[in-house]
Amino acid sequence: MDLEKYKKIFVQESSKYLDELDIILIKAENDLPNQQLWGEIHGKIHSIKGMAKALNMEKIAGLCHSMEDWCKQFQGGDIKPSGDAVQLLIDGADLLKVLVAGKDDVRSPQNLKEWDRITARLANSPDELVKHVTPEVRLVSSPSKIDRIRVDYSLIEELLARSQEIMLLEKRLPPLSQDQISTGLRIWIDNYMSMLKGLHFQLARLRLMPVNDFVYLFEKTIRDLAKKYNRDVGLEVVGGELEVDIGLLDRLREPFMHLLRNSIAHGIEPPDERVKGGKNQEGKIVLEADKRGDSLILKVSDDGRGIDRTAITKYLKNKIPMSDEEISRMPDDEFFNAILSVDFSSTHGTTQLAGRGIGMDVIARAIGYLNGSMTIHSEPSKGTQFTIRLPLSLSIIYAIVFKLGEYTLSIPTSNVASIERTEAISSEQSGAFYDLGDRLGIDAQTRKPTRILKLRQPPGINGATAGETPVRFAVDAIIGNMPLMVMPLGELLARAGSFAGVGIMENGDISILLDMDKL
Amino acid sequence: MECFIFEAAEKCLGIEIEYIYRIADDIQVTPVPLAPPCYRGVIYFRGDLFDVVDVGSLMGGERSLLNGNPYIILLKWGQRKLGLISDKIIGITWIENNNGSRTVFTKEGRTVELITPEEIYKILSKLAYGP
Repeated sequence: MDLEKYKKIFVQESSKYLDELDIILIKAENDLPNQQLWGEIHGKIHSIKGMAKALNMEKIAGLCHSMEDWCKQFQGGDIKPSGDAVQLLIDGADLLKVLVAGKDDVRSPQNLKEWDRITARLANSPDELVKHVTPEVRLVSSPSKIDRIRVDYSLIEELLARSQEIMLLEKRLPPLSQDQISTGLRIWIDNYMSMLKGLHFQLARLRLMPVNDFVYLFEKTIRDLAKKYNRDVGLEVVGGELEVDIGLLDRLREPFMHLLRNSIAHGIEPPDERVKGGKNQEGKIVLEADKRGDSLILKVSDDGRGIDRTAITKYLKNKIPMSDEEISRMPDDEFFNAILSVDFSSTHGTTQLAGRGIGMDVIARAIGYLNGSMTIHSEPSKGTQFTIRLPLSLSIIYAIVFKLGEYTLSIPTSNVASIERTEAISSEQSGAFYDLGDRLGIDAQTRKPTRILKLRQPPGINGATAGETPVRFAVDAIIGNMPLMVMPLGELLARAGSFAGVGIMENGDISILLDMDKL
Repeated sequence: MECFIFEAAEKCLGIEIEYIYRIADDIQVTPVPLAPPCYRGVIYFRGDLFDVVDVGSLMGGERSLLNGNPYIILLKWGQRKLGLISDKIIGITWIENNNGSRTVFTKEGRTVELITPEEIYKILSKLAYGP
């Protein structure tokens, strides 16, 4: 794991939370009994603590923990907050800024003195504070450098749309003769269009969001769920720097909510049970993001009690019905997939026994809608892992774009080993090629093969596997090897079961991205 | 209600104006293999992908002849997006309360069959996609 990368993300995220914390603390100072504000303050500090703990930043985690303790008491109404208490928390937040910037290093003797003062006071009850208060000379903190802004997603969409419309103007350029247009002007127009296309592509990248940012949306949810079910839960993110389309992540919010709820409520055991079982008191949920070929792989795993096989066996025997022998022969992934069935989820009792809450079918449907798939792996007392595979939508990938008949198609460049020129394919040779045109129902009369694409890895075409002769197929013409902005298929095209997405080229033209696994 | 009227399959069809997102012109429709004949392809417009369907062909009539890049009626409702190719665009007309009737008459005496995007989508959904 690249720890430095995660520390950098931590600094960015925590700084954002600390800026927000300043504002809410100031609000609280003017509205001391407002328990909702104290809840928000608590949430921000808790989020920073969670991230700091994951990165072993003990000072930050410790200070956050002490600050949290006070907030909890104010939030619960056990103790009335005072202006001095708010001031101490503001001082604590300032110190956190120093620690975050120094990645848990106090940095200077003066800061160390401040550390001692604040932690000593926070160690006492807020009630005690008044006895310790002495006038202090405080430095007035300057606003931090503005190096990022928040922009409404719809504005990005609007900018993208505008740039596309300007690009479309090129197509309306009236045909001008050499007399009417100078070479210089022609070059100028070409340069202008080239820069505009580049701008459009860069704007498209604004639609991408790091997985880390997505995960942090759930920090509060995890905290609240853990509290509700009396669990001690930590979250770890691997591959959080991977950038994914906001639209796709937004559609994954609900499924993730279900998965997290199920992990916390039914997977991870209560702390005492975990300790008795020889596990850490704190249960762990790990979210791992990875990019493989043209797919996004998201794994959500917990180290809880695992899925109870007896409940699934009972369901398969009674509802399908299957014999013991048939069940024992089932591969694990197929066996566990039974919990995704609609009637399994509706059998509330069975589901609870299985260690998963209701709604697994909802998750499966949502993933299916995104043209993705999910596999489940679980081991008793070791935990459960859900692996979600999704076509990488709205990401930028490099692809070979080609013509076949009237169609403009593409496949990821990473799949292609070579491109060869061909004059014509004789009937004797044709057996050596995969007939992509025929598979896609493209009229042979409209095809004029001139190039042969040899695939690097034959991913399941005609049953070919690695080690066998590489798959080759003929195409009419190669348009190019170029970056494509890949957008998800709509419901209708997804039903064809052959496409991975729709690729938008830099000039705004479209190609249909083939799903090589399904062809 | 305000209705957008167009001709397809030798009929006058009307869609409530609230579903009309834009009338796009000069946009090339990219054909997609394995789709039914009425499915003409996809377009990328203002950051969105639209399935484009030939209404005449969908309604069992003749397939529209695409001369150049035709006008495409873009519809957006809920999460769905659809582009319609018609034989002829008539325009926007005010239609008096239709009392739930699907057949209405314009002031010019035209007989219009009202249709919703969801109905078009349902017909499209029933068609076969794939090999």
